[in-house]
Amino acid sequence: MSVLVAAVGFGLITSAVLAISAVGFTLQFAVTDVLNLAFAAVMTAGAFFAYLVNQSGVPIWGAVVAAMAAGAVLSAALNYLVYSPFQRRGSAPITLVIVSLGMALIVEFGTAAIVGGVNVSYTMSQGRTIHLGGLILTTVQLAIIAISLAVMAGVYGLLRYTKLGKAMRATAANRMLARNCGIKATQVIAITWALTGALCGLAGAVFAIDVGSFNPSSTDIFLILILAAVFLGGPGNAYGAMLGALVIGLVTEVSAAYISPDYKYVAAFVVLLAMLAIRPAGLLGART
Amino acid sequence: MSAEPILIATGVTAGYGADPVIREISVRAAPAQVISVVGPNGSGKSTLLKAIVGVLRITAGQVWIGGQNVTNAAPEQLARAGVGYVPQVDDVFAPLTVKENLEMGGYLLPRGELAGRIEHVVTVFPRLGGMLRRPAGKLSGGERKMLAMGRVLMLAPSVFLLDEPTASLAPAIARSLLEQQVASLAQAGAAVLIVEQRARAVLAVSDFTYVLGGGRLHMSGTPAELSASPAFIASFLGGPPISPQRGGFRGVVPPGQHRA
Amino acid sequence: MYYLIILLVYLAVDAIACLGLSQQFGVAGVTNFGFIIFQAAGAYVAAVLALPPDTADGGFQTYLGGYHLPFPVPWLGAALAGGVLALPFTFLVGRRLRGDFAAVGLLVTAVLLNLLVMNYRPLFNGDAGVSLVPAPLQSGMFVGTSNGYQIGFGIAGLVAVAAVYWFLRRITESPYGRTLRAMRDNDKVADSLGKNLLVLRTGALVTGGAIAGLSGALLVSFIGVWSPAAWSYAETIVLFTAVIIGGAGNHLGAVLGAVLVPVGFEEITRFISNNNPSLPPNLLPSLQWVAIGLLIAIFLWLRPQGVLPERKRVIRPRAAAGQPGPAAGPDRRRPVAGSAVMLAADGVRKDFGGVHAVAGVSLSVARGTMTGLIGPNGAGKSTLLSLLAGTEKVSAGRISYAGQDITTLPAYRRARLGLVRTFQLASEFKRLTVTENLLSAVPGHRGDSFTGALLGRRYWRGDETAAIDRAYALIEKFGLTAQANDYAGELSGGQRRLVEIMRALMVEPDLLLLDEPMAGVHPELARRIGRTLAELCQQGLTILMVEHELAIMDEFCEPVIVMADGQVLAQGTMAQLRDRSEVVEAYLVG
Repeated sequence: MSVLVAAVGFGLITSAVLAISAVGFTLQFAVTDVLNLAFAAVMTAGAFFAYLVNQSGVPIWGAVVAAMAAGAVLSAALNYLVYSPFQRRGSAPITLVIVSLGMALIVEFGTAAIVGGVNVSYTMSQGRTIHLGGLILTTVQLAIIAISLAVMAGVYGLLRYTKLGKAMRATAANRMLARNCGIKATQVIAITWALTGALCGLAGAVFAIDVGSFNPSSTDIFLILILAAVFLGGPGNAYGAMLGALVIGLVTEVSAAYISPDYKYVAAFVVLLAMLAIRPAGLLGART
Repeated sequence: MSAEPILIATGVTAGYGADPVIREISVRAAPAQVISVVGPNGSGKSTLLKAIVGVLRITAGQVWIGGQNVTNAAPEQLARAGVGYVPQVDDVFAPLTVKENLEMGGYLLPRGELAGRIEHVVTVFPRLGGMLRRPAGKLSGGERKMLAMGRVLMLAPSVFLLDEPTASLAPAIARSLLEQQVASLAQAGAAVLIVEQRARAVLAVSDFTYVLGGGRLHMSGTPAELSASPAFIASFLGGPPISPQRGGFRGVVPPGQHRA
Repeated sequence: MYYLIILLVYLAVDAIACLGLSQQFGVAGVTNFGFIIFQAAGAYVAAVLALPPDTADGGFQTYLGGYHLPFPVPWLGAALAGGVLALPFTFLVGRRLRGDFAAVGLLVTAVLLNLLVMNYRPLFNGDAGVSLVPAPLQSGMFVGTSNGYQIGFGIAGLVAVAAVYWFLRRITESPYGRTLRAMRDNDKVADSLGKNLLVLRTGALVTGGAIAGLSGALLVSFIGVWSPAAWSYAETIVLFTAVIIGGAGNHLGAVLGAVLVPVGFEEITRFISNNNPSLPPNLLPSLQWVAIGLLIAIFLWLRPQGVLPERKRVIRPRAAAGQPGPAAGPDRRRPVAGSAVMLAADGVRKDFGGVHAVAGVSLSVARGTMTGLIGPNGAGKSTLLSLLAGTEKVSAGRISYAGQDITTLPAYRRARLGLVRTFQLASEFKRLTVTENLLSAVPGHRGDSFTGALLGRRYWRGDETAAIDRAYALIEKFGLTAQANDYAGELSGGQRRLVEIMRALMVEPDLLLLDEPMAGVHPELARRIGRTLAELCQQGLTILMVEHELAIMDEFCEPVIVMADGQVLAQGTMAQLRDRSEVVEAYLVG
């Protein structure tokens, strides 16, 4: 039983990190129709930017903010310099995906070229451990969960209650009609990339904190989890991504406890392929 | 009462690719008037509206609204210029609720005015009031069209461009939409340019009508003039070849003047 | 010398892999982001077939198999493995899934399989990989400097490249290849022409997989080792870059891409690192990847067709100028037994939710007539056409064709009986020429299958020549001879309409349902189309045409049926109909 509880604990943390990334990924897809496979690479870049900031003396949570800034700038640049021009030209979705793979290479290995390929860790304390009815978590892990919950609440609030959030949803649903209402779609899309880019940077930093020791290629596998969560909930659906993150995170860790840690990603893989085969629109349907 | 036209399109040529769909079309609309554009299918009616509103590229000719040259302006700019456009399909934000759709319609409004405008729109379309929280994608055809019109109403535009608003509606509802809602828009002072298939019905509420055919302007006139004209009927049903008359049936008579 | 041989072998391996990928991606339009796992499968299978049982050599590695089989069995097994591995993925490339989603599914598979093999040692010795793989025709692992052997291996590699090249050319330069390219250009239309997308795409996956497997066998036999590090998912991206730069869909381009990217690129990197020994060890490989990413983006932006774009297939008519073909001409009518009434509808209804799109229509179309179907928007004309064609099912009523009840037959079955429809929206294959567009519609062509293509030109030449004759006769009849070898995507709107109609006529229908064929067509051209169609009617073709261009109805159609509100309102010549007030009202009321 304690194995299960511990697995659930790990699962919650994985879900927490996953939720931040999955929501960011799915919102990018919702508003721009681009499956941005460079997402994990931007996470890495964010994590390493935080590392550099952290190494120069800034405490970890300040470095995390730096990661968000890096993610926002990098993602906005990707959209402005690469994705938008290709889309304006009318490129097919598959071309955009191939281009995003190219961008993934540039960002991931650009980071590796700058910082080297060795494993690094943040300079930070893990905090005290807290016992929560069978679960043993450190304060850092609790902080991660708290941040994730805050992000989800923030995204929910943004999409549901703010003018910008509704404009984002309107642009995602019917771009031309949004423009007819006076919404500057290009602006909304640029802001979306910056916001989701910040989420991406945050996810990278938090991922690196959770994993402890990381290198530029650490997030490659994580992309599978993100895709599984996104497609489980429904591509483009932010609430679906949150639900998908919870399920995938838990399933991954629980299966790791009972089957073997080496194969924990297999569950996510099976879920993803099953969704693609049976119900590509996801459980909650596509697009918020 | 002759009013200066607020919408002036001259010699508009536009299309989707290399070949233009409409050529050299000129229309005008003055405030407080319903100006209709009719014609058989494929005559370019929808294309004309899309060209005016910035969805399609105009390759020749100009469009002026309220004294401002808006030829090939972006749709956002036209919204700012006070133009409300209701497309024929994809006319609502399906995943958003009715209330959110209206809020998007009022995107350009100052924050304080939003609630008031929504209330006003709900008095014009009372049925919307009971459905504010429903996702627009779940509305029936007639309700969606009402929502689409309500959305445009939010900004109190000075020019309404309506693309076949009655297309998917039953005849009785269609007539009521035209005779009540559309007419009231003009009564409130806006210029309404409405494209319609149902020629008879829209003529009944129009002040002036343009007839398109094969991408060109065939003729124009008041409903009374057109109904009495065999050439008008022939426009719809073909018949002995009608050479496209530049300038129309009695010349393009600017809407205001023949009322004087 | 030694060095050049190594280079040559690597080039052969990469060229074979690129050829396979170009076939999948460039010709068939299947984007396989997991391509590298097929090469890996081939390498592993070749290895474990050639290796002795894993207890040998002190048992320091564990793996499946170990049958110590002689050449060429490991290589054949590798190709087989690559092909078989493709089969489970057919569900990803069937009809319903978006291309970019399917590609992502394959990418994820590649990442996962790499992880699995790396962690599950009993499979293929996990992270360390297999080693000491015996070279072909040698008792032990390939070591040493026997020049003759190495040169022989190099030559074998080149022979393999030539063989794969020849094989793929044979497949692609055939009616089957044309069908693959049509599917790539517009899969929905290919589907409506009766091409089985699932089978075609599976074939592409299997073919590419087998070729990738062969390349893996070649590689592992030469270097003697194979581990997960050699086939990370990113290697697929390198191959994609090579194919895109070289020219997707052009087999020579695939080889060129292999020369430029995996090989040329490596060599430049080696040159740089040799001349700059003080660089940190990780820097150059990282920059290599960055460069690959840049190359993809730059080429897709500036020259997506690659250095050697796909060649246009120019097809010329037979030397006998201006002669309509023999019995296989479009004027040949299959006599349909008896019936003067070709098509009859009886009480046909179609309801969508609560809406009665077609509310009880009964009509009949006589043989040899060009019947018009008109009516205002929303009258139900297009829906009725779909019901008659079989693309929609009736809610009630019966439809009979030449006396036979076809109410429950799906569209492609009706097409085989001779009842064919055209569509309103653009549906030409953009990167096929006009002639190829027409040829793609020929049903039952001998060369339009994998085995048929493999059997070669001699096998399907007869069908092809007859089809070309027919196509050219149609092209001349409709006046597009000058554009016969232009890409359909470059034609004007009206000309594309013509291609659509001609393609429908290629299947030699007895009854043609045309959905707004003149939409957006210049009046002169419309009249020419009308005249040609009228000629065909005189020779026995029956046409039912939905149109808004009433001038066409005037000139060519008799009778004309008017629909309004889902029902038939009246029938007669246009002149008669114009005199009837209810018809006039229907149009004006809308």
